[in-house]
Amino acid sequence: MSGQKIGERALAEQSLAEQSLASIKRAGFEKAACRVSADELHELQAETGAINLFRTNFETDIRLIGIDEGRRASLSINKTDEAALGAAVNDLKTMAAGANPDPAYDIAEGQPREDFAAGIESPDYDAMYDRVVEFQKYAHSAYPQLNIRSAAITFSKRRTCYLNSNEVAFTSRRGQYQVSVTFSSKEGADTSSMMYTGYSSYDLETPVQDATNVDTLLRQSTEQVRTRHIPGKFVGDLIIAPNCLMSFLGFLTARIGDAMISGTSIYEGKLGEMVASPPLSVHAMPVSDDIASGYWVTGDGYKAENSTIVEKGRLMTYLLSLYGANRMGLARAVNAGGCYVVDPGEQDYKSMIENVSEGILITRFSGGRPNDRGDFSGVAKNSYYIKDGELAYPIKETTISGNLALLLQSIEGISRERLNFGSSILPWVRATGITVS
Amino acid sequence: MQIADIDLRRYSNQFSSYTELRLHENRQLVVTLLNGDVVSNVKDTSSGVSARVFDKGAWGFSSTPDFSNNAIEGAIAAATKNAAFLASRTGDDAAVLPRASANRDSDFSTKKPHLTQEGKVAFMQRIDDYIVRTCPDIVSRQVNLSCLDMEKKLQTSEGSHGHNVNTRSIVSVKLTTRDDKGEPVELSDAHGARGQFEDVFTSTAELEQKIDKLYQQLMDKKRAVKPVSGYHTVILAADLAGILAHEAIGHTTEGDIVRAGSVAGDYIGKQVASDLVTLIDFANTYAGETLPVPVYLDDEGVESTDAVLIENGILKSFMHNKDSAQYFGMPLTGNARAFGYDDEPLVRMRNTAILSGKDKFEDMIASIEDGYLLMRPTNGQADSTSEFMFGVQMGYEIKDGKLGRAITDTTISGIAFDMLKEVSMLSDEMSWSCAGMCGKKQPMPVGMGGPAVKTKVFIGGQ
Repeated sequence: MSGQKIGERALAEQSLAEQSLASIKRAGFEKAACRVSADELHELQAETGAINLFRTNFETDIRLIGIDEGRRASLSINKTDEAALGAAVNDLKTMAAGANPDPAYDIAEGQPREDFAAGIESPDYDAMYDRVVEFQKYAHSAYPQLNIRSAAITFSKRRTCYLNSNEVAFTSRRGQYQVSVTFSSKEGADTSSMMYTGYSSYDLETPVQDATNVDTLLRQSTEQVRTRHIPGKFVGDLIIAPNCLMSFLGFLTARIGDAMISGTSIYEGKLGEMVASPPLSVHAMPVSDDIASGYWVTGDGYKAENSTIVEKGRLMTYLLSLYGANRMGLARAVNAGGCYVVDPGEQDYKSMIENVSEGILITRFSGGRPNDRGDFSGVAKNSYYIKDGELAYPIKETTISGNLALLLQSIEGISRERLNFGSSILPWVRATGITVS
Repeated sequence: MQIADIDLRRYSNQFSSYTELRLHENRQLVVTLLNGDVVSNVKDTSSGVSARVFDKGAWGFSSTPDFSNNAIEGAIAAATKNAAFLASRTGDDAAVLPRASANRDSDFSTKKPHLTQEGKVAFMQRIDDYIVRTCPDIVSRQVNLSCLDMEKKLQTSEGSHGHNVNTRSIVSVKLTTRDDKGEPVELSDAHGARGQFEDVFTSTAELEQKIDKLYQQLMDKKRAVKPVSGYHTVILAADLAGILAHEAIGHTTEGDIVRAGSVAGDYIGKQVASDLVTLIDFANTYAGETLPVPVYLDDEGVESTDAVLIENGILKSFMHNKDSAQYFGMPLTGNARAFGYDDEPLVRMRNTAILSGKDKFEDMIASIEDGYLLMRPTNGQADSTSEFMFGVQMGYEIKDGKLGRAITDTTISGIAFDMLKEVSMLSDEMSWSCAGMCGKKQPMPVGMGGPAVKTKVFIGGQ
């Protein structure tokens, strides 16, 4: 799918981008870049039992970037007429004049022009409608206690053209479905925690309840109307479900990007070193055929490539932008992060649970923002107490705490099974030494 | 074409059933200084028209960024068609919505000449210079300016119309030092108010006072100890009470959340809190003062009124849009708000606060033998079970009625309706925050307020 030529199909955006780039250059900027995006969104949404919203949105976004004597400004508008564009470029000039110069600001150097496309051109309303209705009926029939707060299928299409004054020219087009469901269960006065999940896909061939682990989450929600406290505070294992794995991996990925410029990242200087235990390998794969919500061009205007961030526990790359790389004197990342894919392990999910003497299975984490050291604590939501290799019961008011950097180094198991959310492909992960209270 | 120049009433003859037509523009400015360097200098403007049509219980929505006559007519036609598509499949002839008609205008734009971008960056640099001069033990500093103007013009088929401009400007500061082990220790603060930059930041004096306090607390935090995990008697400082009101109670009593199964649905008319507690989602004004996020007319054309959620400990009502008010048979409250022009209105809080009590803050501290003073919230989350969580980045031990050592970052959690029953003291001061940005499907600026609260919560930690 990636790399498919689309020729004249992005001409409207290209024409607007050429006009915008010319305006920035005429205003006297030494370096100029612009990105024009045209978005379409078609959404069917059901709330509390019935499909009650049908939405069609159209949006155009023009992002203008100018650098003049090291002074950078960035501005976006969503009007395409000449007067609006002229006013925006004048505003950009004023903004840049007010900034202080920084020689690290730059734009991507010249690359061969490419046009990218993936996905579908237009939505199938009947299929969208039928899938939502089918899901509602299934949930109501299989799990009468379930309240589907929201079930939505959205078709979104984005056409983009990126140009800069170094003769970089990329166009792209992607059309995909996004499915999201939010639900809780209620039996008498007992209520479960709210749960949500979602995924993106190029088609609607799979019923919603059969995608990823949707059906399991629905069933678990009905079990979670009756929760219990854990027997007492303990230090044990954490089986992290794919649905919330990025709540834990995100500490690493957030601190190896431009956040390192502040000088407070614990991962600065750790390139090539072990930052996680050997079972963990993490990739950023924005141009993978398996990722429906990928991208082909970075925010800096570089053609994106897949990369390995952590290989068998070792940090292989930072995620620095061009600016971050120039500031730090380090290499620019070949992508802008995201689209994370974690390699599968050797255990199946069932045996991972069986190997836990005491711990919890966490499916949603409601936590405070971790500090720069990685200390974290928060509530394990929609989660289960594990005792002697079995899911004992759903838990309530249970807090987990620890240090995220240490958690990554305590990973002992990764499941063979993975879930493809369209934006990431993630397994179940077992970490140890977590305080549960 | 400016929003002010467009007369939406001329499109009323194209409304075939209940319709909302909204022109909407968001203007955002973000400038970030990291260790003195401008690392972000971004301005975004997003505007357009949306129409939402109700037809036999189904909503059709359409939006476009264009303000032209054709675009506005096209949005109405598309939304009408979308509603008809759903109505033809799921339509309920008996479905109705509560009627409302109100006309309110408001404008919180500055009347002063606009400061140039250079002037705003220079102001930020003065703040940064102040940190450099007065905070010697800092390894990293970040000063961020975030301004948001939200302009809306609304016309409904029931005759409601209004043109409202809400504005807010916030400067946030993050300071980082290192502890004895060389590990980073950070603390941040946000300061701002309703209004545009020119009205909010007339001098640096108030911000400098805030930075002095922030730095002093950071130095305390540098030597912080970990809090003991478990249930503790605590004083939630006034700046925490607002997020408590918002996260712990507010979300649980939003009409759409209640309809989806929130436990609050079972508690109406019941004692859910200590009788000291009165909690209100204010529309726009309290004690004669305009609040941080004043809403006079919501995005369904309903005049916004205060929603008294808890009065003297009794759960009294919920916040509503037209759908949820109809479902529960309750009065409209004017809580329907949309963040962007392409967003549909949802039930959103406005200025949610616990009202102050009669206790002196010092007496509250003195009343605790062994507990914590918690202050400076970070993020927070709510749940349909009323279980809440929010992050706390500053706090102190309380031992024998006196403040002790600072504590490290932590989270607090609990079941809101249990925690509120434990409230035993409320301070006589009210603190309002303008910096809240709620994330419920769409982002949304919210105001939050309250006094210091003595209660019991679960403190996370090892």
